[in-house]
Amino acid sequence: MSVPTEHLLALAAILFAIGVAGFFTRRNLIVVLMSIELMLNAANLTFVAGSRLHSSTGAVQVDGPIFVIFIIAVAAVEAAVGLALVIALYRQKQTVSLDAFARLED
Amino acid sequence: MNPDLIAQYFNAECAAALAPLVTLAGGLLLLIVAEWFEPMNRLRPLLFVGSILGAAWAEVALLNAPVAAVLGGTYSADKASALWGLVFLASTLIAWVHARSYYRKSRPFLGEHDMLLLTAPIGMMMMAGALDLTVFFIGLELLSIPLYCLASFRRDRSESVEAGLKYFVLGAFSVGLFLYGASLIYAATGTLSLTALTAAAATGFSPMAQVGMAFVLGSLLFKLSVWPFHLWVPDVYQGAPTPVTILMATGTKAAALAFTLRITGLLPESSAGLIALLAVLTMAAGNLGALVQSNLKRLLAYSGVAHAGTLLLLVAAQRASGELSYEATSAALFYMAAYVATAGGAFGLLAWLEADGEHFTQIESLKGLGRRRPAMAAAMTLFLLSLGGIPATGGFLAKWMVFSVTLDAHLTGYAIAGVLMSVIALAYYLRVIAAMYMEPASDQVAPPMAKRTDAMLATAFCAAAVLVMGVLPSVFLGLI
Repeated sequence: MSVPTEHLLALAAILFAIGVAGFFTRRNLIVVLMSIELMLNAANLTFVAGSRLHSSTGAVQVDGPIFVIFIIAVAAVEAAVGLALVIALYRQKQTVSLDAFARLED
Repeated sequence: MNPDLIAQYFNAECAAALAPLVTLAGGLLLLIVAEWFEPMNRLRPLLFVGSILGAAWAEVALLNAPVAAVLGGTYSADKASALWGLVFLASTLIAWVHARSYYRKSRPFLGEHDMLLLTAPIGMMMMAGALDLTVFFIGLELLSIPLYCLASFRRDRSESVEAGLKYFVLGAFSVGLFLYGASLIYAATGTLSLTALTAAAATGFSPMAQVGMAFVLGSLLFKLSVWPFHLWVPDVYQGAPTPVTILMATGTKAAALAFTLRITGLLPESSAGLIALLAVLTMAAGNLGALVQSNLKRLLAYSGVAHAGTLLLLVAAQRASGELSYEATSAALFYMAAYVATAGGAFGLLAWLEADGEHFTQIESLKGLGRRRPAMAAAMTLFLLSLGGIPATGGFLAKWMVFSVTLDAHLTGYAIAGVLMSVIALAYYLRVIAAMYMEPASDQVAPPMAKRTDAMLATAFCAAAVLVMGVLPSVFLGLI
């Protein structure tokens, strides 16, 4: 018994919605980064589901899974840069909240 | 893997198409090695400029013998891509020259700075040449991640760290949008190739693919700084080190525009009006924001938003007329070439002023600059006039070309609105010029500047390019 592809797509859509909602509502930068990771993983899941949707027994569609590998690698880089920036902010403001950003408004 | 298949993919055409990328990547590796050994540190400028010039040479070679599509149809090095590549390289070089004197007082990791700066054009070229969503994504990240680091490069200043973080958070969000959009398109159509997608779009996209396309377009509009995704621009442009702002304002915008023009075929035909409306709203948001600024760096950031609106008009015109026309491509290239010279020159002068003290970018402290530093004030005036689109400057002709393409696409109302917006824009450019020439010097007089030959040369180059593009445009148009 296998999971229907539609379920994968629906799960991905839910993950994406949670990610977007978290991005807009949370003030803690670490949680914001986590929300972005959720969005990326929603894309990963959709790519894999799409590959299954368009593969037949003889010919496997590899474009999607290859894209997923790139996304995973890039997500790691983004997390490294993002957390480094959060640490730089913490050193200056002793906070990781988005509220620390008010300074540049005019 | 099958050796025949490898030979089929990696042929001479492929080598020519990838030569600029390989040159830059090779230069990047040499820069990293040079960083390890103290005596080699002196070679850094040579390596940087050498890689840029080498890549430019490879692009010129491509210009004479363009290559349509290589690597299984995922990357194109046609004439337009080669010209875009030259625009990116010019933008990077201008940013680098100004960075050399900008960080003079507090030199933080100049080696890393050069490496990050040299990575950016690789990403831009991949974005402009991408014929596949995977390639575009890798290019986008190769450009964005160095820019996140560069924007927060002055870790001692909280503005810089915040600019970097803001750019990072919103950039990562827009990448998330792009990826989910791309995955929806893939799930709906089973392909990531732009050629195949354009063919599929011609017969009509499924709703799922259309939603995906909307996400992809949204993330591109973010990179182009289009209303309502423009709110980050003033903060990030102001907070980032000014040489980095040069790259963000010119190169990034050019790369995003090049790819947006490539994928207009994937948009539904009815979207032309909506995009044109967004374009006019972007111009309005940029111009109204710029009118009330007291800081020249922030004013130029808002002016950049307004220019993004003009460029979006071009995207709308191209969608309305269907095929990627020669006129739209040449207008986009000319506009961005002029913008690189103009905005690069203006932000470069700001970097120069700013190196002496943070507050010298206030319009207030520019008062009387015309008497204190006539050459600098004259150059700034030229750049501001070109940004405003005054005849005999490159900016005028660039705007002219965009509006004539828009008129040809029967978007008459939007073109008229765009022209009116350009007139409003003149108000704030002229305000700065008036402050420089017609008002008595402020008490915040800048100390006499150290002689900076490289920054002076870069400014002179930009000024000359703006004038030549305005007076003898055929020199540039002949290339296209």
